[in-house]
Amino acid sequence: MLTNIQEGNALNPVVKHITQEKIDLYAEASGDFNPIHVDESFAAKTPFGGTIAHGMLNLAYVSEMMALAFGQSWLSEGKLSARFKQSARPGDTVTINGKIDSIEQKNGVSYATCSFECRNQKGEIIVTGEAAVRLPTDKK
Amino acid sequence: MQDRTVSYEKLTPGYEFPPAKYELSVSLVSKYLKAVDSSGDEFVPPLAITACAITAMAGSLSLPPGTIAIHASQELEFFKLLPIGATIECHARVARKINRGKMSMLILELEVFDQNKEKVQSGKATLALPG
Repeated sequence: MLTNIQEGNALNPVVKHITQEKIDLYAEASGDFNPIHVDESFAAKTPFGGTIAHGMLNLAYVSEMMALAFGQSWLSEGKLSARFKQSARPGDTVTINGKIDSIEQKNGVSYATCSFECRNQKGEIIVTGEAAVRLPTDKK
Repeated sequence: MQDRTVSYEKLTPGYEFPPAKYELSVSLVSKYLKAVDSSGDEFVPPLAITACAITAMAGSLSLPPGTIAIHASQELEFFKLLPIGATIECHARVARKINRGKMSMLILELEVFDQNKEKVQSGKATLALPG
């Protein structure tokens, strides 16, 4: 859990390596067997030129970063908005960074709003967005 | 078995996809955790639940041959944690359908309830279908 919850503070980044094996596993777990993710010969003929990771796989990494920072409060009451800008591909290493943009009080409860982005090893943005979470009452 | 798929052309705003039930079993959750390269506890990761909801909707949608649906954006709100072994019911409806030249966009609203009919999460997914 993040111990110093203040505006402007960075969240601990999450770094993941994308492999076709993980994409295939995600397809099995989610039931999403869209050939753009799992069929290399099909995907090679598309404008992507090869398979791509599920957008929700990258978003799972964002959720992991938020859960590491805010614990159960994120998992049970989190809120997020994400835009998928580009696809992650097998072989990519993606890094998810986030920071606390603001902390606001509503009805005596503190909420943190964070911005996040997921970039590949070339620095290209894969996902951007915002996430909001209720802060435990003994924090802030 | 009855075909419950609906073709993309027939989708109109307000269309509700057939609800789908999932058991968030130990094997489903452990497979998910392995895929996302993460460790778990006694609760189901909320994004695993979202994945089920999106897949339930996508499984009911028949796209024109050769068309691929690309996830363009996602909004989500979580309301409660579920233990492993819980059953969920996923609902999805078409909020908007936009055609811009060769590009089509489908905006879907998702809601997930637990076995007690309590809301677990809600969200909005935008799918892009390049022509």
